[in-house]
Amino acid sequence: MTDDHVRYRVRLVSAAHYENPVPVARHILRVRPRDDARQSVSAYALEIEPAPARVIETRDFFGNAVTSFTLDAPHDHFVFRAESDVALTIAASPDATPAWDEVRAQANAHAALDPDAPAHYLYASRIVALDDDITAYAAASFAPGAPIFESARDLAQRIHREFVFDAQATEVTSSPRAAFDARQGVCQDFAHIMIGGLRGLGLPARYASGFLRTLPPPGAAALEGADAMHAWIEIWCGAHAGWIGLDPTNDMPAGSDHILVAVGRDYADVAPETGVIVTQGKHRLEIAVDVRALTEAPN
Amino acid sequence: MSEPPQPVRDPLMKPLFEPRPRGDGAYEEMWDERGEMRAHWRDFADIMRALGPEEISRRNDSVARRLREAGVYFRSYDRNQEQPWPLSAVPVLIDADEWRAIEAGLVQRANLIEATLADIYGAQNLVRDGALPASLIAGSPDFLRPMVGARPRGGRFLHVYAADLGRGPDGRWWVLRDRTQAPSGAGYALGNRIALSRTLPETMRDLGVARLADFFRNWREALQTHASADSAGVALMTPGAYNDTYYEHAYLARYLGFLLVEGEDLVVRDRDVFLRTISGLKKIDVLLRRLDADFVDPLEFNFQSRLGAPGLADATRAGKLTFANALGSGLAESRALMAFWPMLAQRLLGEDLALPNIATWWCGDEAARAHVLSNLDALTLAPAFAGGDNVPAPRSDLVRRLAARGLDYVGQENITLSATPVWDGDSFVSRPFQMRVFLAATEDGWRAMPGGLCSIAPESDPRAMSLQRGGMAADLWVLGGDEPGAVFTLLPGAQDVRRANDMLTTRVADNLYWLGRYLERADVTLRLVRATAVRANERDSDVAQIARRMADLMRFWGVAPLDGPREPARIAAFALRDLESHGAPAMLLRRALDAGSAARERLSPDAWLTLNQLARLARPDLERGDDLDRVDRALNRLAAFNGYAQENMARGPGWAAFEIGRRIERGLAITRIVRALALPETTPASLDALVEMADSHGAHAQRYFVAHSLAAAADLLIFDEGNPRACAYQARRLRELADYLPAQTAPDGASRLRNAIVLFDAAIAAGDPRQVDAAFFASIDTALLRVADAFSSTYLSDLG
Repeated sequence: MTDDHVRYRVRLVSAAHYENPVPVARHILRVRPRDDARQSVSAYALEIEPAPARVIETRDFFGNAVTSFTLDAPHDHFVFRAESDVALTIAASPDATPAWDEVRAQANAHAALDPDAPAHYLYASRIVALDDDITAYAAASFAPGAPIFESARDLAQRIHREFVFDAQATEVTSSPRAAFDARQGVCQDFAHIMIGGLRGLGLPARYASGFLRTLPPPGAAALEGADAMHAWIEIWCGAHAGWIGLDPTNDMPAGSDHILVAVGRDYADVAPETGVIVTQGKHRLEIAVDVRALTEAPN
Repeated sequence: MSEPPQPVRDPLMKPLFEPRPRGDGAYEEMWDERGEMRAHWRDFADIMRALGPEEISRRNDSVARRLREAGVYFRSYDRNQEQPWPLSAVPVLIDADEWRAIEAGLVQRANLIEATLADIYGAQNLVRDGALPASLIAGSPDFLRPMVGARPRGGRFLHVYAADLGRGPDGRWWVLRDRTQAPSGAGYALGNRIALSRTLPETMRDLGVARLADFFRNWREALQTHASADSAGVALMTPGAYNDTYYEHAYLARYLGFLLVEGEDLVVRDRDVFLRTISGLKKIDVLLRRLDADFVDPLEFNFQSRLGAPGLADATRAGKLTFANALGSGLAESRALMAFWPMLAQRLLGEDLALPNIATWWCGDEAARAHVLSNLDALTLAPAFAGGDNVPAPRSDLVRRLAARGLDYVGQENITLSATPVWDGDSFVSRPFQMRVFLAATEDGWRAMPGGLCSIAPESDPRAMSLQRGGMAADLWVLGGDEPGAVFTLLPGAQDVRRANDMLTTRVADNLYWLGRYLERADVTLRLVRATAVRANERDSDVAQIARRMADLMRFWGVAPLDGPREPARIAAFALRDLESHGAPAMLLRRALDAGSAARERLSPDAWLTLNQLARLARPDLERGDDLDRVDRALNRLAAFNGYAQENMARGPGWAAFEIGRRIERGLAITRIVRALALPETTPASLDALVEMADSHGAHAQRYFVAHSLAAAADLLIFDEGNPRACAYQARRLRELADYLPAQTAPDGASRLRNAIVLFDAAIAAGDPRQVDAAFFASIDTALLRVADAFSSTYLSDLG
């Protein structure tokens, strides 16, 4: 491992307990960190309880790793533990990016439908509706002709400054508009709001789901969102620069503290766990995340 | 007494048919530019003149009646209830030569759409080469990413295609919209045709109207070729009874002999798809889909959908399931694609479009956007993809909006639609219309239904074609073809009838069973209410005591609150006015209607109508009339429903489930009533009430006139196998009904039901009419509940 890497061990535990036994359930998990140019997974283990008869590993359209299985014996709990060792390359700050209105024209004309093509991320999506007020809010960061990454950073900064982070503020299903009105929410809301604002301006933006290191490097402050799965955004900065991650919750580029698991149009594309269970009665869900640095980045 | 004024009609004043050139330059279907009647309308006009205005009006009225009788409805979103289907008695006539051109144009278009979908979900050359903008594809909510790269089972995306067509002022037909997701309307077109064939039989015969049956037969056969031999055949997948076109789903399923299934009927094991039936899981591999693809699988598409089944997308990718149409086909409904079809026709087929679609500019393209902005007055701005209405244009910020997000919009040319005659009470008048034409992929290629569903705009709003907004439907007659086609019936072959009847989904069995139980419970509750009401104000203390016992029984049944008032008069009145208590007749009949809706394709139109009348009769807020009068009418309708069930339901497992529900409920009710009225002591008043409740005055009077005793009443109501209200009779019927159910689901399953029935029988036989007591009643009650439990766990078990 060379010096320009940080290595992490990530543990995710999710436990659901059902009031009444669930006779049959079908689940999809997206919890395996991505392998890409920026990060590589050297070890990965997933335990599921109760153990399914058959586990299928595939990739979804966006290239995220998907684990699917059926639990077809009655069960009163469903637990999974995922442990990964991931090495992150420390990315250099992006070079000067093109003017945002130029990127808009480029995105529109980009003749590709591969998973990274900007076309997929230009429109309203299941959770992110396009909203005139959110677009107008975002527009204040985008002066005519300004470089796209700088403008987007300004927007992330404003969201960080003007919105209150409150883990209790919203449910997974709350609408970005409600969080926007309340000027508070969780990382997922801030990501959705920022994506909505960027798309309202005609810019490609996508949702990134992953982990954040739990303990800060020596001398740095702890980050918000490290005790659960985290969410940030990626903005397409033209064919040359491609996708660049920005974390509005912590007002920072997604760098060596952000371990990417899945990308998609919004949370609905990347939910770590999607399940269809047939049951009556309540269920209780607990998620715990622990991200430990195995090596520190060189200063 | 003076005579009512007779309508006077001056034959010279207002001719039946009159060319009325419209100011807007619209093409007239019936008239040419010189005011001459077009040739293909002349025979029709002659027949109408021969009928005369009174007769035309009479036939017009009878169309409405026929439709009601045939059970044709649509669900209005506003009022969330079913509305009568508004059908014009005047068909739109099209000459066979013109029809052939339309058919050829649509066949070309269907092939073009198929080739385009195959490319977009496959090689994606069109995007890679720049022929289609990537953002035009990616923006459609119907571009289903999980299906990219998956070839549909059977090789084709489209199995059914519909197009909305309108005729412009120059007489040319234009495609207004493409319908590729799950086209609706073919069933309504069929319903319209059946209604008109009964209203204007001689007209239809004399004009040689092309028949529709061949089309449906070919379509059915084409779909059946995709079903594997060991499968349950083709099923029509519906979102369920709350969908606005559910009526049509049930109607088509019935007509085509397909099972009607909902998401909860389907289960995916590994990657195979099964149907939950009362005989266990049955493999299924072809679904005629009337559910939008987004709702088909909550795991991969809309996670909030409760209408689909998890795993269906994966099974489809694995080639285990044919959807007609394939998941993702809805993409071709994008308005934005209309700007590209002429180019795509050249590129993919090497042909010009035979039938043009309305000129369209997608504002994601800069030049097109500029064109739209400078021609806003001549164009309609609409959402770029499927769904949504025209965009009401706040012109002020349109330039800014289109600059930022032009990709969300198209500009479309306005067309002044042609006008066709409708009957307005004393003459024919012209109204704008459009028509939907249906094509099915058959083994001999695409075939168009020689007819269609026309939508006629109301006078008030010439652009509102939707029935939801006051429009009207009309049939489409293709005239002068070589051969009218097969006689208009589609009697399924013997094999199909067998298959359709024997295969019963657990969900439908469950609903039929509960339909039987709720209706029977409503019946007995209404009798109890009536019997209580007539006794409530009696001075005779024995009679008053009986009224109190009845009122208590009703409270225990949830007809009125258990902790509320106890006075019989108040309970009876409450029972007939309350809508919310779980045992009140209004609630029971509402639940019966819900259960009946979910099993609708199993009910005859008369039975369905009766069920709706019943649900209304129980509602004092909807139905006028004295309370007790409503009770009598409701009991009468219940008897009618049971008559329809006996006479019109095929003797199979569905009928058996309904009957078993009724028999169990009746047995429970009579046992509990006898116990409540006969114990702790019997009086002449209680015997009288028992006999009244059992509706057995005749039988009792004849056979037990002298022996007015508890023993006689118990013999009549519990032990008499010949009395249809007696417990023993229910036991006998249950024994017979069990034979209509499949032998087993689990190896010991069926024997559980039979054993339970035998034990119920034995519990009755163990009793003695002269010594009935609480323990005896409890033993039959328990035995009957075990029958219910054995039936549910054997045939309705959730896991199947």
